[in-house]
Amino acid sequence: MRLVTPLALSLSLFMPLVSAQITPEQISIETMPEPGANWFISKTGNGGYIFDANTGEMQGLLSLSRGTPAVTMWHPRKEFYAAETYVSRGSHGERTDIVAIYDFDNLSPIAEVVIPNHMARLSVRNHLGLMNNGRHLAVLNMNPGHSVSIVDVQDRVFIYEVSTPGCAVIMPVGQSDFLQICGDGTLQLIQLDLSGFEENRVRSETFFNVIEDAVFDRTARSADGWFLVTHGGTIYEVSTSGAEINIADGWSLVSEDEKGWRPGGGEFISAHRELGLLYVAMHEGEVDTHHEQGEEIWVFDVSTQRRIHRIELEVPVRSLMVTQEDEPKLIIGDGEGDTHVYDALSFILERTIDTPGASMFEDF
Amino acid sequence: MNIEKIIDRSYYWIDDRARKTSLSLARTLSRRHFISRLGVIIAGAAAFPLLPVARSFAQSSIQEVGDPQSCDYWRYCAMSGTLCSCCGGSYTSCPPGSEASPITWVGTCHNPADNRDYLMSYNDCCGKSVCARCSCHSTEGDKPVYFNSNSSTVIWCFGTENTSYHCTVSLVLGTIDE
Repeated sequence: MRLVTPLALSLSLFMPLVSAQITPEQISIETMPEPGANWFISKTGNGGYIFDANTGEMQGLLSLSRGTPAVTMWHPRKEFYAAETYVSRGSHGERTDIVAIYDFDNLSPIAEVVIPNHMARLSVRNHLGLMNNGRHLAVLNMNPGHSVSIVDVQDRVFIYEVSTPGCAVIMPVGQSDFLQICGDGTLQLIQLDLSGFEENRVRSETFFNVIEDAVFDRTARSADGWFLVTHGGTIYEVSTSGAEINIADGWSLVSEDEKGWRPGGGEFISAHRELGLLYVAMHEGEVDTHHEQGEEIWVFDVSTQRRIHRIELEVPVRSLMVTQEDEPKLIIGDGEGDTHVYDALSFILERTIDTPGASMFEDF
Repeated sequence: MNIEKIIDRSYYWIDDRARKTSLSLARTLSRRHFISRLGVIIAGAAAFPLLPVARSFAQSSIQEVGDPQSCDYWRYCAMSGTLCSCCGGSYTSCPPGSEASPITWVGTCHNPADNRDYLMSYNDCCGKSVCARCSCHSTEGDKPVYFNSNSSTVIWCFGTENTSYHCTVSLVLGTIDE
């Protein structure tokens, strides 16, 4: 007994000393590493989830408003740009539309520019466009007439609201110009001056009929301009030369013996610009099924205008995007909320990522 | 001359004078004259109580068939949004506390009950949180956003104090043969 009591006492004194040797953990905050190959943003109703498609790991989140049409970025300044809309009391109260600027390092808002409360508030990638000079950002408005707010994101100032009646969609071309699709079957080119004000406006010839076979308001950037597609599946590649609008002859995605297949869905078309590959979500359906999700993804070689592959899907695709890397990935968002990563050249499914209802993807 | 003939002649004289005076007034008075306007007001006031009856008659002339809380209901052929009839309103009324947008998109729907086509107006009810019940998305005749009068995907909360989307109603504007 004489021995047990001192032993117990010494042990009881010793134990706290052992605990004290463990250094209490400190909370820390990550900083974003340099963006890697095949990183992408998965835009949902509450923000942009940034993923590495090569590993499937999430890197961080951009908090965005529910009515944000899209998010874009400018790598030389390491900044993201998003048009956002807020109502002071959630569902009612004073509305404020802004262009928010986020940094790459922390994905934090570092500046904002108040714009007219006329944003269209639809989740459409081409309702937001950064001009190719990286300076002027265009935001599509509907009030209910169409207009475009121009913001100088370098100097953080709202420039002015350009009235664009009957025309929507923003497709940047040249250095500081953008194309729009118009309801009378034409394209409109708006050219901005160095300050961001409209310098010139040009209208193309009529090349489609909105009643008989409308051109989608979802488009894909090509090597020289943009790919447009009609509800019936005719592809037009459009570009500009200065103030001239060029519209190439249309070609069909669908052969004679495949009539009944149509493009459609959300952001259902994307192109790898350097490789000249076009990816389109297709479904079998009648006229006016243009929002139906794709049962297959058809891959086309643009130079030959021939289909080179059909990707059959278990769950229909809602949105898709191909990254612009040398070893590109095809990112597919399905109708059940999952995101799938395919090798965009071998068309092999590599992984599935859980993302809460992505409406579109942006290459990072 | 008996008393009956005197009364008859008096009635005839009064009737004749009234006719001639009316004709004279009609020839000489402009449409903007006070008496003309008074007449319109009196006639209008007399007809006014009939208006609700006439409206009731006109509304009951549209035969309804089907479930107004189903996306398949005939009025929703060009509908995209959530049904106000599932949210405390009806296909013609906004739920309590919401605000009706006066600016709309339109479509033409076929009513199987009377085999007629109707011009429909789809008005958004605004100013409250979205009522996430009975979500419908019909794309019949739907056009892209750049052709917005026929685009069902646009948020049509314009001209309202609050621009938040709540739900959508579908009103008959007329028949296509009118």
